[in-house]
Amino acid sequence: MVSLNAVLLISFLLFTIGIIGVLIRRNALVILMCVELMLNAANLNFIAFARHSGSVSGQAFALLVMGFAAAEVAVGLALVVALYRKRDTVQVDDINLLKG
Amino acid sequence: MEHFIETIGRNMFAIFGVMALGGAAFMVGSRSAVHSVLGFLFAMLCVAGCFLSLEAEFLGMAQILVYAGGIVVLFLFVVMLVEMSKKKEKAVFQLQSRHAIAVALLGAAAFLGVFRKVLFGAASPDALVLRPELAAGLDVAKQNAQAVSRGLYADYLLPFEILSVILLVALVGAVVLAKTERV
Repeated sequence: MVSLNAVLLISFLLFTIGIIGVLIRRNALVILMCVELMLNAANLNFIAFARHSGSVSGQAFALLVMGFAAAEVAVGLALVVALYRKRDTVQVDDINLLKG
Repeated sequence: MEHFIETIGRNMFAIFGVMALGGAAFMVGSRSAVHSVLGFLFAMLCVAGCFLSLEAEFLGMAQILVYAGGIVVLFLFVVMLVEMSKKKEKAVFQLQSRHAIAVALLGAAAFLGVFRKVLFGAASPDALVLRPELAAGLDVAKQNAQAVSRGLYADYLLPFEILSVILLVALVGAVVLAKTERV
């Protein structure tokens, strides 16, 4: 059987890769994808603990998280498109309108 | 041969997990956005495989439908819309990359230090096995989808309804944000 430790380790590593991606990439699209990756790591934990405790709540919440991720992607991509129309770029360090 | 296949079957989760890590690393490291999307797709499919090997069949299939079918296609469309810019990307990574990686790894190390016992300690003997007194409660649901639907519609109806409202708001917000200013 799958041990809980292995699941936690994999999800931890996925989350770390996601955080590193958010911090180091310039492309707003890739940053959005990294946020999705972190949500998936959390989902993996939800499911592992649901399996561990024998309750179905974790799986139900993982499904809810999936829905939230879809909503977040819709708004995020709309923002990226609007930004591209205004500033002609999706590189986050070219966007410095609020910088004094 | 039989033994080999059996070993693979037992380690399905680890195989899918390592492949997901590879896809994620490819996504973060690759220069072109399309390659990043493909790495993302691969990682999501492997995470779906992980869900399946954790016996969450419904969620595995939902993962494939939502991510591979919906979100990745959305990302690809936006990449095609946006990435044809005239000026080329100056650099892939931020200026502060080195500091950022150092800080992230430091945070990860601190996390590992705190949760070392949980992650690497002796696996609890009853890991990931249904406890009998809990399994009795799940007897009504013979299949995973049934169990999940009971969880969603019986125990967590309010969060589910709130999620539907949030999806509606996100839909309207996306339309308002992305529409051209013609008024």
